[in-house]
Amino acid sequence: MTVFKAFLKILDKNKFIVIMYTVFLISFGGFNMQTSDNNTNFVASKPNIMIVNNDGYKGITKDLIKYIKDNSNIIKLNNNEDTINDGLFYRDVNYVIYIPKNYNNDFINGKNPKIDIKSTGDYKSSYAEMLLSRYIKVANVYQKSINNIDEIITKTNETLKKEIEVEIISKLDTNSLSKATFYYNFASYSILACLIYVICLVLSSFKDIKIQKRIIISSTDYKKINRQLLISNSLFSIVLWLLYVILSFILIKDVMFSYQGMIYLLNSLLFTMCATTIAIFIGNIVYNKDAINGIVNIIALGSSFLCGAFVPMEWLPDGVLKMAHLLPSYYYISSNETLKTLEVFNLDTMGPIIFNLLILIVYSLLFIILTNVVSKRKQKIG
Amino acid sequence: MNIIEVKNLTKKYKKLKAVDDLSFEVRKGEILGLLGPNGSGKSTTINCLLSLLNFSSGSIKIFGEEMKPDSYDIKSKIGVVFQEVSVFEELTVYENIDYFCGLYITDNKTRKKYIEDAIKLVGLEDFKKFYPKKLSGGLLRRLNIACGIAHKPKLIFLDEPTVAVDPQSRNNILDGIKKLRNDGATIVYTTHYMEEVEILCDRVIILDKGKILATGTTDELKELAKIEEKIKVEVNDLDCKYIGEIKDFKNVDEVEYNWNMLLITYKKGKNNLFDIMEYLKKENIKYSKIFSERPTLNDVFLELTGKELRD
Repeated sequence: MTVFKAFLKILDKNKFIVIMYTVFLISFGGFNMQTSDNNTNFVASKPNIMIVNNDGYKGITKDLIKYIKDNSNIIKLNNNEDTINDGLFYRDVNYVIYIPKNYNNDFINGKNPKIDIKSTGDYKSSYAEMLLSRYIKVANVYQKSINNIDEIITKTNETLKKEIEVEIISKLDTNSLSKATFYYNFASYSILACLIYVICLVLSSFKDIKIQKRIIISSTDYKKINRQLLISNSLFSIVLWLLYVILSFILIKDVMFSYQGMIYLLNSLLFTMCATTIAIFIGNIVYNKDAINGIVNIIALGSSFLCGAFVPMEWLPDGVLKMAHLLPSYYYISSNETLKTLEVFNLDTMGPIIFNLLILIVYSLLFIILTNVVSKRKQKIG
Repeated sequence: MNIIEVKNLTKKYKKLKAVDDLSFEVRKGEILGLLGPNGSGKSTTINCLLSLLNFSSGSIKIFGEEMKPDSYDIKSKIGVVFQEVSVFEELTVYENIDYFCGLYITDNKTRKKYIEDAIKLVGLEDFKKFYPKKLSGGLLRRLNIACGIAHKPKLIFLDEPTVAVDPQSRNNILDGIKKLRNDGATIVYTTHYMEEVEILCDRVIILDKGKILATGTTDELKELAKIEEKIKVEVNDLDCKYIGEIKDFKNVDEVEYNWNMLLITYKKGKNNLFDIMEYLKKENIKYSKIFSERPTLNDVFLELTGKELRD
């Protein structure tokens, strides 16, 4: 109790900075999640296309223009290159189709006439290009076997009208799960940073060499003191974790009351415990209060970047991901990423998550042992 | 009965012997003064005794048992006041004493009484709720002592507890130490202040370069001094020829003249003061003060350890 009481008093003495740090990181995590674009819904949109028709309005030319009109927004600009280039630059138009003179006749004669285009190069222009090439390819196929232009047009339109219906049977709310994953991934940074900062701040008082000498020569076993410090720090960690959990229940209630939510909680609890042991270990080797901010940046920010807390894992280079395997944050974030798309819960699907959870426990034990080794070594002053 | 028994203690740092084959004992109820210039091995010896340092060879017994890092029974009877103030900046005076006392005394009621006793002993009754940053140097030293002795140890190590404190605080600290001894504690006391040793210590060990140079009571140590008497004469503008003549006096060991003060050191002799007064009268030398001194512990210390500057 002596150590616990002193721990609380030291924490109380630093309460302003501790509360500031905790509240800032937690609110930043919540705010970030709310403002992030996690939308996975699909809403169809049409490209803006301008058609410069140098042919007559007949035959295949007429039908091509009609097809393009039906599937896009037709934009009318003055037919001069400066205006068209400005239109493309300001994205008023995504794609410009130049239909050449005698296009209809040349097509009928099998000359496969060339159509010039101008494009913004974005995804909307790709869609416009897909429309154009799709029409021409289908029409070309029929042109080779049918001589009558009306019949070619009819057959082409029939083919282009064919659609395949895709039914999504998954009831997974990927939008909410993505939000939850983003929230808990970001938490890996906030939890680690906050715990390292606060625990190192408090431990730097306990581990000050002058204080340490008094503790070493006392009749209390150093293991008992370490145990009491571990319990005190763990209690602080649990409070911090609970704050995160409560906020997640407010922000993403639907997910948190599901199976996935329970696993998010378990995963974050084990990560919090692991982060606590890491923070205690660092607190046992670094006593300089001025160095704490730097350590938080290197360890918390560094591991969060490397392990994909801010940037999705799939965007990270292989080399970075290989290095990230050495860090506990990787296994925590990896489980969160798996949960985002996990719909069926059985031993096969849960296997990778269970493995990651076990790794977090192993890391926690490893850091507890390391802390005891370092602490025992520091029982001697020279 | 011996509380501490040290036999052939040696502590090496690579080739350097910080403590060299040291053997001594500390008797129950005494205050043992450990004297020595900087780097003489005092702190290393104490750190070895407390198991804060591994030693190369020898043995240490405290309360009749071998001292080891996990000798928690022995540690429970030891109190240490380190030279540097070792307290939590974030805790008040009372909370600091409570924390360090709590490492020994788990019973709340007993601890509370012990804390009050310690606060009373060092005179910090009016500063219980003060944080260390708000305390003066002297008060901090007193807090440092209270933290080290609050659990009422039977053996206390005090490592220069009065460094940089005002005379009032020093008196308070010295009175407190005497009271601890009177209450039955055995004390090992290190200091650079010779007058403190003369006031407090029953026995003294003078250490240098890791070895014991002398040991005994303060009177016994003074017997070791090669000088018998020192005569100081306050005289203005003394001519060099008189200094030369005084040097040739019988029994005179050394003559120094600095800042209008003539210092004559005698190896032996009984009528030295009379002789010098006669000489001054004969030569018609006017002086304002003249006085004779017996050798002090400081003289013995300087004679044994040398006058060259140390780090």
